[in-house]
Parts: sequence; C-alpha cells; structure tokens
Amino acid sequence: MIIDWLRANWLDIVVPVLVFLGVFFVSLWLRRITYNALERWLKERKTQIGKIIISVTRGPFLHWLLILGAYIALRISVLSVQGKILGGQILASIFIAYFGWVLIRLSRELIIALYPDKTKIPGRIVTVTMTVVQVTVVVLGVLILLEVWRAPVTPILIVLIAAIIVAILAFRDIFPSLISGFQLTQQKQIKAGDLIRLGSGEEGRVEEITWRNTQIKTLDGNIIIVPNTTLMQTTITNFGKQHQAAKEPFQFSTRLHLRELTGLSASNLSQLFSSLKEIPDAVVYYHTHSFIEEFQFLTPEPTNDFASWIQDALHYDALAERLAYIDTFEFSTIEALRQRIVAVIQDFMAETPVEREAPLGSEFHFIKSISVVLPTPYIAHDLQEFVSILRKVSIGSLYFHIFEARLRLHRRTNDFSVWFEDCLGEKELAEQITRLDPYNYTMENLREIIIQACEKRL
Amino acid sequence: MSPNINVRDYEPVVGKSYIEELRMLASRLSGKTVLNINSTFAGGGVAEILSRLVPLFNELGVDVRWQTILGDARFFKMTKKLHNALHGKNGPISDEEFALFRETTKKNLDQIDFSGDILFIHDPQPVALIEKKHDIGREWIWRCHIDISHPDSQAWKFLQEFVSKYEAAVFSSPNFAQQLPIRQFFAPPSIDPLSDKNRELPPQMVDTVLAKYGLDRDKPLILQVSRFDWLKDPVGVIKAFELVRRNFTCQLVLAGGTASDDPESAEVLQEVKERADGNPDIHILDIPPGSDIDINALQSAANIVMQKSLREGFALTISEALWKGKPVVASAVGGIPLQVKNRLTGLLCHSIEGTAYALRQILANPEYGQWLGNNGKEHVRQHFLIVRELRDYLLMFLTLQRKEDVIYL
Repeated sequence: MIIDWLRANWLDIVVPVLVFLGVFFVSLWLRRITYNALERWLKERKTQIGKIIISVTRGPFLHWLLILGAYIALRISVLSVQGKILGGQILASIFIAYFGWVLIRLSRELIIALYPDKTKIPGRIVTVTMTVVQVTVVVLGVLILLEVWRAPVTPILIVLIAAIIVAILAFRDIFPSLISGFQLTQQKQIKAGDLIRLGSGEEGRVEEITWRNTQIKTLDGNIIIVPNTTLMQTTITNFGKQHQAAKEPFQFSTRLHLRELTGLSASNLSQLFSSLKEIPDAVVYYHTHSFIEEFQFLTPEPTNDFASWIQDALHYDALAERLAYIDTFEFSTIEALRQRIVAVIQDFMAETPVEREAPLGSEFHFIKSISVVLPTPYIAHDLQEFVSILRKVSIGSLYFHIFEARLRLHRRTNDFSVWFEDCLGEKELAEQITRLDPYNYTMENLREIIIQACEKRL
Repeated sequence: MSPNINVRDYEPVVGKSYIEELRMLASRLSGKTVLNINSTFAGGGVAEILSRLVPLFNELGVDVRWQTILGDARFFKMTKKLHNALHGKNGPISDEEFALFRETTKKNLDQIDFSGDILFIHDPQPVALIEKKHDIGREWIWRCHIDISHPDSQAWKFLQEFVSKYEAAVFSSPNFAQQLPIRQFFAPPSIDPLSDKNRELPPQMVDTVLAKYGLDRDKPLILQVSRFDWLKDPVGVIKAFELVRRNFTCQLVLAGGTASDDPESAEVLQEVKERADGNPDIHILDIPPGSDIDINALQSAANIVMQKSLREGFALTISEALWKGKPVVASAVGGIPLQVKNRLTGLLCHSIEGTAYALRQILANPEYGQWLGNNGKEHVRQHFLIVRELRDYLLMFLTLQRKEDVIYL
C-alpha cells in the first residue's frame, strides 16, 4: 500500500528533497565565499573580534542553512496547510533557540576579549555583563517564540517593561559605577598593582577594580574603597607598577622625645665647662640638636644651645662664634663632639681670665634628651613608594632616620642610604645622601632634597 | 568640660602625621587607667587645661579620669599661703597650718577612689596623697604647674618630703627643676588653638570689641594683657609707650583684671589709671575673668603685644599673641625666653629704653614685625599647643619605668 502511494506521488517527495539539497549546496557555496572573503578582510586588519565571530558562527551557520533548506522544502511540499504551519513553527523554534545559544556564546567570548588584561579582569564586571546579555537574549528569544506560536505577548511585554523600569530605578546608582568601572579598565587608566595618588591626597596601590568600587591599599596599610564614579571625577596621578622591588622593605619609624631635667645648671663659663665633662651623652646630644627640631621652620636656624647661651647670657661673642662653627656632621660619636666643645671652651678660658656671670634667671639648665622610637605603619617596597611615603611622614620620622641613626645609634650613616645601597643596589644615590650635611638645612628642605635625589632615579 | 572636642579637629592645625602619632601612642596605653587629681573642677589654669585634656585623652581611647580633693575654707587658705611661699613670697606657715594640711589629706585618702594604674597629681594641694602609694603601689607622677624656681625654704622642705616619694615630677620650665631623688621632666604649658581665646575670630567681631572699648581701629595698637600686678610692670609699659608715642601715632591698651584674692591689684589698677590720666591714647581696661572673646579680639587687633614683666612664670599670654602671628616685645624673664627667641620669634628687652627701642623698630618696619610674628606662630605650633602637652603626657605614661636614653616602643 505504501509502495503504491509512493509510485503515485514520488514527485511530491523528490521535488522537496531536491529543493532542500539544492538550497543546502548553494548555501554551502555561499558560506565558503562569504567566510573566505571575511577572513581575508580580517587578516589585513588583525582584529580579534572578527576572528571570534568567525570561529563561533562558522559551524552553526551550516546548521542554520539546513534549517532554511528544510523550511523551503516544507513550503513547497504537498502537506496540508495545517501541517506546513506546524512544521514551520517547529523549524522556527529550533532556529531561534539555536541562534540565541550562539549569540550568548558569542557575547561571552567578546566580553572576555574586550578586557585588556585577562589576568586582572575584575570578575564581577564580566559576570554581570554576561548575565545581562544572557538574560536579554533569553527574554527576546522567548518573546519571539511566543509570537511564533501565536501566544499573547502584550501582557508579558508590559510586565517586562515595568520590571526593567523598576530595575533601572533600583540600580540607578550602580549603573554609573558599572560604566565607570568599564571605562577604567577599558581605557587602561589604572590597573591592579598601580601606585596612584588621588586628588584628595590618598595614595596607595590599586588592589582590585570591581564593578562598583576600586580597592586601594594605602601606604600606611589601610584599605580604602573608592566608588568608580568618584574615581572618574577626580584627578589621578598614576605612578605605574612597582619599580625594582627592594630585597627588604623599608620600615619607617618615628621618634618623639621627652626632655628630662637633670637639676644641673651653670651660671658662668667655669661651671658650664666642668659640667660638660661629666654630663651623660644624652645631655650633650640634646643641647647640640634640640634647635634643629625646635626651630625647624627657620632659615638660617639658630646655633646650638651652648653657643646661644654663651652669646645671650655671657656675651662672649667670639666663643659663641667658635662653638657655632663646630660642624657636628664631622663627628661620628657624641663623645668626640663633646671633646671638641670642651676643647674650644678650654682654649677660650685660657685666654680670658675674667669670669662673667649670667643674669639671675638666665642660667644654663642641662636637659637630657629621651628618644622614644616607634614603628609607623608606612613600609616602602620600592623607590617610588619610598618617595611617596617620605612626603607624608612626620618631621620626627625624618629626624630619626637622618640624625639619630647616624650619631646616636652609631649606624655607619643615615638609614636611608643604608637601604638604598643594601636593598636597592642604588649605590650612587646612597652616597649622595650620605654626603649631604643635614645640619645645613631646615627639616622640610632636607625632605625635599632627598625626594628630588630619589626622583632622578625613577 | 568641653564635650565637643575631637582630636581630628587639630589635624588642620598641626598636620595629619602629628595626630597619627598621637593615636599610635594612645593605642599602646590601651587597658591602662590614668587618674588625675587636683583641687577643683572649675576656675584656675589647671582645671582649664584638664577640662580640655581629659576629653582628648578619652577620645584617643585612653581611659583618663579626673577627681578633686575636698577641703574646707581653712585648708584652701593654707594652700594659698603654700602656693605663695613656693612662688617665693615669704609668709611663715604655722605648724597648725601644716597639721591642717596633713589632716585634710588624711580625710581625702579615705574618700578618694584611687582606681587607676597611673596617678597624676596636680600642684601642691593634693601632693600628700602620695601616702597612699605605701598601700596600693602603682605609678605616681606629680605635675607642678607653678613657678618654684625660688621657693621659700620652709615651704619647699615641707613639700619635698612628699614629692620625693613620686616616680617623677613634671615642671613647666627648666629653671623650676630642683635637686630631687626622682626623675624630673620638662613639659611647658600650652594653649588650645580651638578655644575661644585662640580661635580665629571674624573681623566684624574684632571690630565690635574694639568699638565696645572705644578703641580706634585705624591707629596702631600696642597691647599688654596681664592682671594688674607690680610684677607685670604696667607703669614701665606706659613709660616705654610714651617714649615711642613722640615719633609714632599709636595707642596703648593695658588689659587685665583684678583678683579678689589679691588686694594689691586694685591699688595697682588705681595707680596705673592715675599715671595714664590725660593721655587719650592710653586705655586701661579692667576686663572681668572669662572674657575670652574680648581678649582674643584685642590680641587679634594688636600690632604689637608686650609682656614687660619684672618676674614671670611662663606667660601663656605670649603664646596666645604669637599664635595670632603678632610680633612680641617682652622682658627676658621666667619662661618668656622659651617662647621668644630674640630677633627670631620676637624681641627681648631688659629696660624701658630697650622696650621703647624694640617697639620703634617694629612700628617703623611692619614687615619685620610680620616676619617675627610668622616665626612666632610656627614656634607655638611646634611647641606650645595642647596636642604637644598631650603627647608629652602620653610619652611619660608609657616610659615612666624605662631608664634608657633611646626607648623602643
């Protein structure tokens, strides 16, 4: 019976099959021409996006042509109108689902390709963008499928539009951040690992750029989270990636001080002279260094306490000048400095037999310097970080590493030079700072000179 | 108390790193309690500084408390005599009065809650509370706010018995140091840049105060702020002004008050008024206590601030003037040279003629005065603001038991 039916209607079967095969082969030929032309065009431009489109769509394109051939064959077949409609709906549904799946795949590949540094992709930005694309494709696909199957779409569309409006209102603050985050990474303005300074003064290394915020580890070890929109609106100085990392980081300390009264005083040169020989080093240190911190804002600074008192209270101007002339930088120990001061006074006393008394209330009071040293949260891992931190630390910190380290703690030179040479291999810079006589500058000038010397090495 | 004080408010004044260091120190005192004890919660310089320091300590996370001793009128009369004697004013104190001091201390020893790891005792009135150390131990520091450079020997001998039992004493000037078997620290007093007396006033407010006292805004103003006391040499100030007035158009303001516990002050005021009588450029202003805004306005409007004292403790009025960027002409006595480094942060003088000469130099060269004032302001910023005093105390609390010259925390 079936054979009889085939004999009678063979043409109704062969024609659609031939049409299907014809459409298929013609399409196959068209695909080859099109894709070959496309590949040649892309080769000239070396664009990655085109390659992705080709690799993702080449296989499915063939399948879509098969569906197209089947559809045309169906339309010219002798099936009933109802059968043709049903077949068309099934083929259309397969095509829509397949096309949507390819679109999602394509979008995923393109989004990943759009981020410049794949190792530093802010994961949440990628995930959110992909999710948005997937949801959009699926929703549109479902709407088209409903249309194909003649289901009512209008109520669903209304609900959908309402949902979109609600979502926009709810996330209206997030979208600008999302866009800013995208811009930040896309335009390569800042990247994870960069040392940046914001217009507001905060400074640190970028830890992570998320879809809303950027996390920055400040130089004192805190994490600050800056909204991407804020970041886009502020001035950013980008010092770039870490420079040559030091073998050991530099831990900045600071030095505060207490002044301990010894109860000792002098009202004439003889008393000053005899006490000078016996007082502890910490007292000599105080009277030869206190003026540096006390009058750090003055240029030129006043002289050491002994010279000042001898001039102001005893009016031995020549001796005051000789004491002021003593170059503290020459001495590597406080004891050696003391010996020089004592010798200068002794020589003067030998040539000046008349003793003068300081007015009542103007006696010299011996004070002992107690240094209290504590680590700060600031740690430099390279020269750029060192410069940034040096701009921030207190005068006490600078004073500790330059003055106290050398003379009081008996280190061979200042702490900065030791680190430059031993941990950064910056021998020339180390020598330059070692040669610098810090007693000739105000503390702020000293800070600026060291910064400038370092910046020349960056 | 000053409830609105916040350490962060001082950042624009002294810088962020300064405040960071305060927080670093404070964090190391975590878990310790400091108990301040003095004689009163209100009135007087000690109460004023504690009312600002204690909230700052607490805001930094340090548990600092404050108590006062109790005493009747007889006790405080005796301590006033003791105070004067320590200042060098002779006034014999009887054995009965010393007995009263010990008796009042004993009552306070029973009543005060000594819950604190560090006991910070201020001035002579509560000094004998150290007797409690025998029972409870702990660390005791005596903070002396007064000038004891030339104390009456009887008074100092009495006080020394107690002071020697403390771990340490703190003095406001190196020349207050004594021969003691304990450690002595130097911590000068300080001013609060955010207080009514020192904060920056709007120009309209300054004008209003000047108008209130009938002062000419357009005439250079020379000012001395001090209570009416012979030791502040108000007559010497007038004489120096008269010498200057021959060549320069200017006006002098002597602003101060009279103290109810100092009968001499009214007499001084009267004589100063008589001496100034007939000179329309000399203004003698008897300003009641607590008129901080008025004093601030006068200092802010002044072209030169003087402190021609014959004897002086520390003279915080100089720090106040320097903080407002004013050139200062002052005598080289007491704690003044600590604040005025001659020809760098002000001008020091030793006579009426020297004072007149210094005034003339500044009136003739306002830029020079401005330079001195600017230097003076920086000097105060570094050394005489309340945050420095706060830091000194934190350092003392942290290192009291450490004897090294360089201490690592």
